[in-house]
Amino acid sequence: MSVENLKAYIESGVLELYVLGDLSPEEIVQVEEMASRYPEMKNEIAAMEHAIEKYAMQNTVEPSADVELRLFEKLGLNDVEENEVISTQPAYIEEPKIVRLDGSDGKVRTLRYALVACVALLVVSTVSLFITYNKLGDAHDQIASLNLDKQKFAGVVSKLEYENSGLENMAAMADSQEWATIKMAGQAFSPKSKMKVYWNKKDKSVLINYVAMDLPKTDEAHEYQLWALVNGKPVSLGVFGKTDSTDNEAIIKMQTIQQAQAFAVTLEPMGGSVNPTMEKLTVMGGV
Amino acid sequence: MTALKKLTLSEPELVLALQSKDPAVLKTLYSMYSSALYGVISRIITHTELAEDVLQETFVKIWQSAAHYDNAKGRLFTWMMNIARNLSIDKLRSKDFKNSLKNQDIENNVSFVDEQNKVTFNPDVMGVKQLVENLKPDLQSVLDLVYYKGFTHVEAAEKLDLPLGTVKTRIRLAIIELRKSFN
Repeated sequence: MSVENLKAYIESGVLELYVLGDLSPEEIVQVEEMASRYPEMKNEIAAMEHAIEKYAMQNTVEPSADVELRLFEKLGLNDVEENEVISTQPAYIEEPKIVRLDGSDGKVRTLRYALVACVALLVVSTVSLFITYNKLGDAHDQIASLNLDKQKFAGVVSKLEYENSGLENMAAMADSQEWATIKMAGQAFSPKSKMKVYWNKKDKSVLINYVAMDLPKTDEAHEYQLWALVNGKPVSLGVFGKTDSTDNEAIIKMQTIQQAQAFAVTLEPMGGSVNPTMEKLTVMGGV
Repeated sequence: MTALKKLTLSEPELVLALQSKDPAVLKTLYSMYSSALYGVISRIITHTELAEDVLQETFVKIWQSAAHYDNAKGRLFTWMMNIARNLSIDKLRSKDFKNSLKNQDIENNVSFVDEQNKVTFNPDVMGVKQLVENLKPDLQSVLDLVYYKGFTHVEAAEKLDLPLGTVKTRIRLAIIELRKSFN
């Protein structure tokens, strides 16, 4: 290239664009190739670089301090000692490394941390859920057992109420002069049984009290029948059910009888019988 | 006084340490050049947060591609500045940047637009300020676009509606003015 051509090339402004990084890769190669051949061009480039560098150094803007911290953290170099002396030993020239320049390493790392955090969160959530589920099961069990207790207590309470009402009646009748109490004793069929019948002298009504009886339990097909002996003849005063029943009132009103010499109870088939089954005479007592 | 010494390492020393991946050199390099490079970046990208991101990316790239730097081809600073400029321009054209513009509310926008049109100078350096003010307006507008706004010379020619040759000549003349004031 002649001196004139070289001058024209320089004056075209291509070197300025080269220094400003505003050339295509092919043009860059061309400029670098020529710069290595013509010292004049190389000097020209050096002078421009120098001027732009000076210019930049005089138009500085301080970035905030945490940029440096973030930078060293990102590169994993934040443990560098402030006062560490930089080695200025000539380093061997390394083979050019293939380095990813798009910064996706950092993104991948960030995503990896995010993934680890997510997994940790998932594990914690699962464990909490499991614990909560177990506690819920425990709570259900507790509720069930409390319900059972409640039913038991309700049963106890209703039984106590039932017995209480029976006892109150008995106490009231004992105080009153109107009521005669006939004690019936166990017979051959059931020697240990006993029972009381209350007979009103005025209106002749007859009451029995579940609390004041001790009879064997009946089976499904039988119930007790109360009889009055009037002039040697049995008269039915009605049937009554199982002695442990809590569904009924403690006091049961039987049929009235104008006169009687004795009362008796027999075990009869459900519904009662016309005549008492004397083999199953359970209790009997005279007035 | 290693700290002081460290801050004034010569360029060949810096390059050697950088290419041997000595972590301490990055600190030195940062303390020597971060504000100059940030001066370049922050004039192209006025959004502080994004500009600082680009500054960080610039040093990451300097660190990672130090092996590619060849001092036979030019000064270390030129190489670093071009990395900063290219990353800034990439950012300027990226989705991130466009999104950040959308997110500016009106109040911020006023100062944002102002900032975008403003060229600030280190107040300590009155000479340079004067110099650029003394540049002929047509030189200044070209230098503005290419140096501060991250335009390529082709884009600057389109923007100013000038022939490509004229733009190139004006860039050259503007840089010659700079050279005169520094040499």
